[in-house]
Amino acid sequence: MIENTTVLYQKKEIPIRILHLGFVFLAIGVIGSIIGFVVEPARTSFNFVVLIAWCASIGTGSLFFIGIEYLSGAVWSVPFRRVAEVNSAVIFTLPLLIVPVLLNIHSVFHWSHAEEVLKDEILKGKSSYLNPSFFVLRIILIIALWFLFKSLFTKHSRKQDFTFEQSLTKKNTIVSAVFMPVFAVTLTIFAIDWLMSLEPHWYSTIFGVYYFAGTFLAALGLFTFASIKLNESGYLLEGLGQDHYYSMGALLFAFTNFWAYIAFSQFMLIWYANLPEETFWYITRGTGTWMYFSLGIIFVKFVVPYIALLPQPAKMDPKRLKFISLWILFAHYYDLFWIVMPTYSKDYFVFGWIEISSILLGIGLIIVNFYYFANKTNLIPIGDPKLKRAIEFHL
Amino acid sequence: MDDKNLFGVACLFKDPNKLLPLVKKIRELGFKNWDVHSAYPLHGIPKAMRLKWSPLGYIALIFGLSGASFGLFLTWWTMSVDYPLIIGGKPWFSFPAFVPVLFELTVLLASVGTAIVMLFVIFKLPNNRHPLNDTEYMKKVSSEYYGLVVESKDPNFDYDRIVSIFKEYEPSEILDINYQELELKYQPKVFDWKFILFLVIISAATSAFAYFYNNKVLYLPPFDFMLNQFKLKPQESSTLFSDNFGMRIPVAGTVARGEKFYPFKGKPEEAGTKLVNTLEPSEENLKLGQQKYNTFCSPCHGWRGEGDSRLNGQFPNPPSLHTEKLRNWPDGRIYHVIVEGQNIMPSYARLLSEKERWAIVLYIRALQRSLNAKQEDLQ
Amino acid sequence: MNQIDYSVEPDVVQGSLSQRDINEAISKPLETKPTKLYYLALGISSTLLLIGAISLALTLYYGVGLWGINQPVGWAFDIVNFVFWVGIGHAGTLISAILFLFRQRWRTGIARFAEAMTIFAVMTAGLFPLIHTGRPWLDGYLFPVPNQHHLWINFTSPLIWDVFAVSTYLTVSFVFWYIGLIPDLATLRERTNSKVKKIIYSILSLGWRHSNRHWHHYEMIYLILAGFATPLVLSVHTIVSFDFAVSILPGWHTTIFPPYFVAGAVFSGFAMVQNVLIVIRKIFNLQNIITLDTLEKMNKVMLATGLMVGYAYGMEFFIAWYSGNPLESFVFLNRAFGNYAWAYWIMVSCNVIFTQLFWFKKIRRSIVPMFIIGVLVNIGMWFERFVIVVTTLSRDFLPTSWDYFVPTIYDIGILLGSFGLFFTLVILFIRTLPVVSITEVKSVLKTSQPVHH
Repeated sequence: MIENTTVLYQKKEIPIRILHLGFVFLAIGVIGSIIGFVVEPARTSFNFVVLIAWCASIGTGSLFFIGIEYLSGAVWSVPFRRVAEVNSAVIFTLPLLIVPVLLNIHSVFHWSHAEEVLKDEILKGKSSYLNPSFFVLRIILIIALWFLFKSLFTKHSRKQDFTFEQSLTKKNTIVSAVFMPVFAVTLTIFAIDWLMSLEPHWYSTIFGVYYFAGTFLAALGLFTFASIKLNESGYLLEGLGQDHYYSMGALLFAFTNFWAYIAFSQFMLIWYANLPEETFWYITRGTGTWMYFSLGIIFVKFVVPYIALLPQPAKMDPKRLKFISLWILFAHYYDLFWIVMPTYSKDYFVFGWIEISSILLGIGLIIVNFYYFANKTNLIPIGDPKLKRAIEFHL
Repeated sequence: MDDKNLFGVACLFKDPNKLLPLVKKIRELGFKNWDVHSAYPLHGIPKAMRLKWSPLGYIALIFGLSGASFGLFLTWWTMSVDYPLIIGGKPWFSFPAFVPVLFELTVLLASVGTAIVMLFVIFKLPNNRHPLNDTEYMKKVSSEYYGLVVESKDPNFDYDRIVSIFKEYEPSEILDINYQELELKYQPKVFDWKFILFLVIISAATSAFAYFYNNKVLYLPPFDFMLNQFKLKPQESSTLFSDNFGMRIPVAGTVARGEKFYPFKGKPEEAGTKLVNTLEPSEENLKLGQQKYNTFCSPCHGWRGEGDSRLNGQFPNPPSLHTEKLRNWPDGRIYHVIVEGQNIMPSYARLLSEKERWAIVLYIRALQRSLNAKQEDLQ
Repeated sequence: MNQIDYSVEPDVVQGSLSQRDINEAISKPLETKPTKLYYLALGISSTLLLIGAISLALTLYYGVGLWGINQPVGWAFDIVNFVFWVGIGHAGTLISAILFLFRQRWRTGIARFAEAMTIFAVMTAGLFPLIHTGRPWLDGYLFPVPNQHHLWINFTSPLIWDVFAVSTYLTVSFVFWYIGLIPDLATLRERTNSKVKKIIYSILSLGWRHSNRHWHHYEMIYLILAGFATPLVLSVHTIVSFDFAVSILPGWHTTIFPPYFVAGAVFSGFAMVQNVLIVIRKIFNLQNIITLDTLEKMNKVMLATGLMVGYAYGMEFFIAWYSGNPLESFVFLNRAFGNYAWAYWIMVSCNVIFTQLFWFKKIRRSIVPMFIIGVLVNIGMWFERFVIVVTTLSRDFLPTSWDYFVPTIYDIGILLGSFGLFFTLVILFIRTLPVVSITEVKSVLKTSQPVHH
């Protein structure tokens, strides 16, 4: 059943200056990080853990977004789905970031020291899970699964541009249904391995959900910014506007609240029960200069986006959305930094050229990745059967 | 119905697409008192009618903020000011634990407040006497038609002109809507005797119920569980012990924790000379003495130590504490009476700690001085 | 591959009904004499209610000593039933508020009924905290009323949070439901020929007159109420989970409890809505309004939430091992292989294993299997709360006081009574008020909205 689309789409190339900009960021980031690995390998590795978690968030969060679109039969997001597909390619950069950390595994993960583990009863009990070889095996498996689903989604979606087959939408729906449980399990294991096990004695059952909340927010942030920017510069289609933006704003708002809910639940339960095997994690983050950083997270990740997105008109105001989506992307980095870095420096807050260069490296990676993958495909899934409905979508 | 009571003129459509251009036309002609009716919200009508942005969002915000601040005040004031208790080692003002209540109060006030404002302030409901209700027009609108009404009170109202405009848009029907006589004349009567009787009956029934509930029901089982508990009250007898006393007396020679052995047993005079009150007559100690005196001594000796309690006349009269003899007794002598008792007065050693006994002595001294003040006390 | 056409919007209502047909179909149950089947159902449910009332009256007279609770299981059926019924209520708000915000139009056919069910379920649930105090006539002190004792309630106690959460939830759900009912009541008012009904509908509909000047605000408040109800529904079951999670008991104190309880609540609530709707659409001939597509979507939600619940079970188990805390690992091993292992495996099989059948489209779309799975889900979810409460308490820190909880007939009587109360209210509701929102269903008919320009 081939149905020709009535949509007129003219592909425009992303200008080369975007790539140049990305290379500038990337070059500074790479040079800074290389020097960092030579001078202060531990600190740079910790920064890379933040970066890995951030990039994994953007990539897998975008995959989750695509899956949700297929499963719920959402219409408004169809013209922007390619943006999410392009963003999800960020996961291809993960191996590059992970290898240097694995080379420095002993300076990041306390449990990787076999002799330390033998001295510690609790770590000895966990050593069948937390040991370097199984750890490496898990991350390879997880990334392989993400690559697999990413390529399945993109393959079907791109094929539809030429064949206009409805069955491809059906296929992707099935892929999404299988992807969801896989996503939940892999993301949780990823969060436990790369973030929670930095403090190998600490545990919290909600941690996977906590990381998921931030993950989806970060992916939505980049998605919203890129979609609005592309649409305003005419890379997408006529007729996409505030009605579509509203959904993005509403989702950002909803998941900001969801993150706050999960974060508060975790904090409140640990604070209230006051068990020393759990509270030390928050005590590290609540003392010294880290206290100010911890209080900052309430404002950076909740209060500012909440107030900015609360009024109904704000949720469809492209100017405000562009700003707040980047803010949320930054807030997720802030959040991950808050989770990771106190393990490196327990007593005081650290920030310097190593941190800056790894942030620049991350930004550079995203821009360069975006340039390459956006130019490889149509920015509109012109073969999608829901596309026409999506353009006619009104609140 | 006659024409004088015309409320407005209406037209009905079966297709919402036909209605929309008419709505735009009526708005462009500058009518003020007109309305569109449909059994569900029609998309595009608010825009076509140029309705203002609904202010309900701001109303909800105001109610929500007041709910939050009320909740914050309530939790802070009760838990850290008026009735501070340490619970689970948490600070008095433990904000994370108040968040659930704050949140619930915010949501409660915001949603209920906004709903009430919308229904009763903005819509001015209930309004069952509105002329549109109970008309053929309303019946049709609520089943399958879409209607538009122009009211006669509109300054531009001109019956024939409006009907001719309506006709251009080919409605299914054009109707007049009239007031009914009753609707114009109806006045609610507050001082109707039936209504007053109704109020009287309601209030009598409420009072009777309240009386019955508070004076009878609460003394019936199982509501009397506080009055009749499975425990011995003071002075009650018990078959558990061979002497049938419910209140037990400690074994001879028992010394309470933190108390010293009392060496002057049976030696009142020696106690009077050797014991010295070490308590400062500070405000704190006098307050303690007053409290303990009022609890333990005043039932017999009276509030001011005049022996004028309500037991006066039932027992051998309790003595006044203001006699010359007592005033000249040393502190230790009074202390001894508290410890050992005298005549019919039992020992209070079990009930009062050493410090409390001395505080009572201090207070008795103050009482004595108050009724027998010297010249220099007045200065 | 199959016949779904993604390029057109799927119809919410089947059988090309007109606006008038909708009016007829929905108000028919209110205007016709009920069948014998109806009275039979009412008879059964009110018998259950009577059993519950007698058990409750005896409990109140003699005290909660009649129940099976003792040391160390001091909390059993009362709290299990409470959590179960509050959970049932959550589906209603999810359907009416969250799916509204996500613009899922298939919700229109089931939203009204689900909302009503929320109110009845919360009412039933609210009974249990009141009676578990043992002296329910003193429950006024659960609210912060200034009193002659100069005492205040303890705002740091999760039980007080419960009081606020459940009463707020009941109030807001009621407001939401009533606001939705007003236009329908106005429609009924215009339809009815009976004088008594006319008076009742006139009073309840407040003289609503379908004015578009009103609809304009009405749509806004619906959005606002949905916006408030969404975090509220999350907060309510979160607070219920705090009852357990703020303690230090292994098996109760675990941070995943809030989202896990919410997912479980939606799961069981959807199962209950699905079960009752299957019956209602059959006896009132509403197959075109409550369509098979709607039921299929509900089954998909159940599959998703069932997986979430399964995720939480797995996570709890994993972290119990991972924590290296012997008490944690003991509690979870005891759940699966200890004295109440049978309850644990009922829970796991009903909640996680059987729901996997919903992966198959055939089962999602056939009435009998989905009904059975719905019933199983509710059994499983009841046992989930039983496992959390009873298994954990029966093996506490002090092995000398370990005990095996057995419910008495009063416990079971009150449980039956709660079902009686709930179903009696539901059965009375379906004959007194429109079970489907006339307004909302009309607004999603194919030709009901003007074409956009």
